[in-house]
Amino acid sequence: MGPLIPNGVITGDWDFVIALIIGIIFGFLLESSGFSSSRNIVGVFYGYNFVVLRVFFTAVIVAMVGLLYFDYFGWLDLDKIFILPTYLTPMIVGSVIMGFGFVLGGFCPGTSYTAIAIGKLDALVFTVGLFIGIFIFSETFPLFQDFYYSGYLGNVTLTDVTGIPAAWFAFAFTIIALASFWITMVIEKRVRKNITEYKF
Amino acid sequence: MNKNYIFLTILMILLAAGTLFLDNRKDNYQIKPEVLLYEIIQPTRYVTTDQVAKMIIDKDPTLELIDVRSPEEFDKFSLTNAINVPLDSIITAGSQDYFGLPGVKVVFYSNGDICADQAWVLTRRMGYKDTYVMKGGLNRWIETIIQPKEPPQEAPYTDFELYQFRKGAQIYFTGAEIESTQVKKKSSVKVRRRKKTVTASGGC
Repeated sequence: MGPLIPNGVITGDWDFVIALIIGIIFGFLLESSGFSSSRNIVGVFYGYNFVVLRVFFTAVIVAMVGLLYFDYFGWLDLDKIFILPTYLTPMIVGSVIMGFGFVLGGFCPGTSYTAIAIGKLDALVFTVGLFIGIFIFSETFPLFQDFYYSGYLGNVTLTDVTGIPAAWFAFAFTIIALASFWITMVIEKRVRKNITEYKF
Repeated sequence: MNKNYIFLTILMILLAAGTLFLDNRKDNYQIKPEVLLYEIIQPTRYVTTDQVAKMIIDKDPTLELIDVRSPEEFDKFSLTNAINVPLDSIITAGSQDYFGLPGVKVVFYSNGDICADQAWVLTRRMGYKDTYVMKGGLNRWIETIIQPKEPPQEAPYTDFELYQFRKGAQIYFTGAEIESTQVKKKSSVKVRRRKKTVTASGGC
């Protein structure tokens, strides 16, 4: 049956409607997971709050295993879904920059908007900076255009690159994620004992 | 320790382990036999040689001609911008890229109807839309476009219009010369000079 638009179940005009609905649900879930607080988010770097890691790992493994079952039941054809093209080096550099922004600012772009929605001033400043950054990036783009498009691997998945079936990756990643849940729970308890200025 | 966490952890591990045992075999999607039967008997799946000729002349970007004959035959003669996908390789992965492009009409042709029809049924069963068969194939192409016959004198006017179009298409495809209704060759004028007759001038 799925994906709905490539298979002609619904037309491409539904793009924005679906985007709006998913956006509302995503924003709601971010806010209800506590992602609108920069303390919760950066807690993962200091070891007192691993909610970010747990929420995102849960989302990843549930979606990953779920999609494999969907594909098996014929509800969603995984050969037809869009796969983001891989630019290896720029992606590594970009994620390092993103990580620095994350720990310095306390938000990622999505969570900063949910934080604005509930009236956080630090998030407002963060998004102003975000747009200044986007502006500078756009204006200076020709300077590092070559680097931006380097290391192109195409629309590949790990299965395409390694030849190992997707199910093995899903299983391995699930084990890693679940193990990290239990390990971080222990770390959290120990770190929180030593923090006195902030109550949990 | 929360009991729910233990339960969810075990459930997730089981579900993930379950994916390892999923059969990778894919059920190939096919359209329903009733739908296929209905579409096979529709005349709309055919395009005439005239329509194809018009689209080629108009350089219609939505037309994609697929020649399902063998590569040897394709090399000898093919229509303008046709792609050669022999019938036996029509369901290979490489050929699939030609079908199902949005807004593109795929037109199959062979020498007659049969091979093109088979290609149409195969691609239609795989679920590709906007596929057509050139009615009569290249035999009909030769009859109508390359060597059009003039309709009899009592034929309706539309037949003559069609004939005019085919004549035009013939010129486009073969580079035949335009026949004009005027006299074909101008007889060259030969100037005959009369020999000057010598007249008697005086007799002295």
